[in-house]
Amino acid sequence: MDRAADPTQRAKVSSRRHVVCRGSIGAIALAVGVTLGTVRRPSAAAAANPSPAQDRAIFNFALLLEYLQAGFYTEAVKEGALTGEVRDFAEIVSGHERAHVAYLRRALGPHARPRPQFEFGQATRNERAFLKAAVLLENAGVLAYNGQAANLTKPALAAAAEIVSVEGRHAAWVSDLAGEPPAPRAADVGEPSAEVVRKLQSTGFLKTT
Amino acid sequence: MTDPEGHSAAPPADLADLGPTLAEVDSDGALRETAADAFPLTRGELFRQSATAAAAGALGYFGAAWDDAEAAAAKTANDIAILRFDQVLEFLQAGLYTEAERLGALKPETLAWARVVGAHERAHLRAIERLLGPKKVKNPGFNYGNVTSDEQAFLKTAVAFEDLTAALLKWQAPRLDSRAIVAAAVSLHSVETRHAAWIRHLVGLQPATSAFDKPASQHKMAQLIDSTHFLVSQPKTAARKKPPYTG
Repeated sequence: MDRAADPTQRAKVSSRRHVVCRGSIGAIALAVGVTLGTVRRPSAAAAANPSPAQDRAIFNFALLLEYLQAGFYTEAVKEGALTGEVRDFAEIVSGHERAHVAYLRRALGPHARPRPQFEFGQATRNERAFLKAAVLLENAGVLAYNGQAANLTKPALAAAAEIVSVEGRHAAWVSDLAGEPPAPRAADVGEPSAEVVRKLQSTGFLKTT
Repeated sequence: MTDPEGHSAAPPADLADLGPTLAEVDSDGALRETAADAFPLTRGELFRQSATAAAAGALGYFGAAWDDAEAAAAKTANDIAILRFDQVLEFLQAGLYTEAERLGALKPETLAWARVVGAHERAHLRAIERLLGPKKVKNPGFNYGNVTSDEQAFLKTAVAFEDLTAALLKWQAPRLDSRAIVAAAVSLHSVETRHAAWIRHLVGLQPATSAFDKPASQHKMAQLIDSTHFLVSQPKTAARKKPPYTG
């Protein structure tokens, strides 16, 4: 993370704008992470060459997302306010998200973060609010995984690809149900973790302690 | 400018935006050197351009960042082989959906899908061509027969290609050498999974059947391409049965 401390630092550094922008992104990620108490380090901004330790940081970030999604769909199914295909979607997808949580927890072992507390409010009790939140969560999931893909070791990338693939399907499916374009862009360009955290925070689902 | 569905308000992502993403993952500058070649604009320039270039992105123009990017990124022979395979596949898909759109013989909702997805595949094709530069392949030429005008044949073919393309990109991702190209490839991968889920929903199939999507090799894709007989420029020799593209 610290360029000056890096003995392999190249003389050919980037433009001042690059450095300034990178610095601010890193600061935002750190600030948001500390405030939320969810992201220990700004993984995207700090990411170096792939390593098992970095895989763990990224998988823990992914685990937060999966906990959030699994909790959201499980509660929505339990609340019983959904009807027709929207309910089918929630039932099927809640199973997928719980499987993702189980996979990441197994992969992380003792390093797995604890399950955070959530508060979903109307989003699990009202179909319209549910659809809106589901579209946001699925799209955020896709861009979060895509943003970290190049930071993972090859085996971790292979595993993450099997998960993000399903998140992309969920995103298209629920967008179609919500009357939104299932594939709104030609490329799902990944987002840094700070941006993903900002989106998750905007839902108000994450209870900070 | 609006995207193929008329959603002008949604800011479509531009592949050129990979620049900023890569800048943030790069701690020692090594990756930036590659990325700067592939995506030569700075963050600020990319952001300033995003309003116009990104609006065009969904329609197939990936912005000025790609104009100078041809052949600039450091690439291994392995990465070039993978990208060339993908380029042939994008030729096939872009041609298939564009012809269906031009003939206009399919149901309106199928045509709407073909219009959006065709624009995406054409955009993917151009993006991959620019990454390959002089190493890009020529359009091998395809004959789609009645698949672009027969509703059932089209749907069956589209589901098969979208599902398998998503699986193929999953197989390729951990086999790519360049992290810059990994970041680009995964941004196409999830769009292919969206296409697959969308067309499955359209035909009444469950869009997501499993918690984990398995990869499929280039050999599998070559077999699918071979089975369609879309390729018109196959060698007219005893080698005809061999998959013409094995990456």
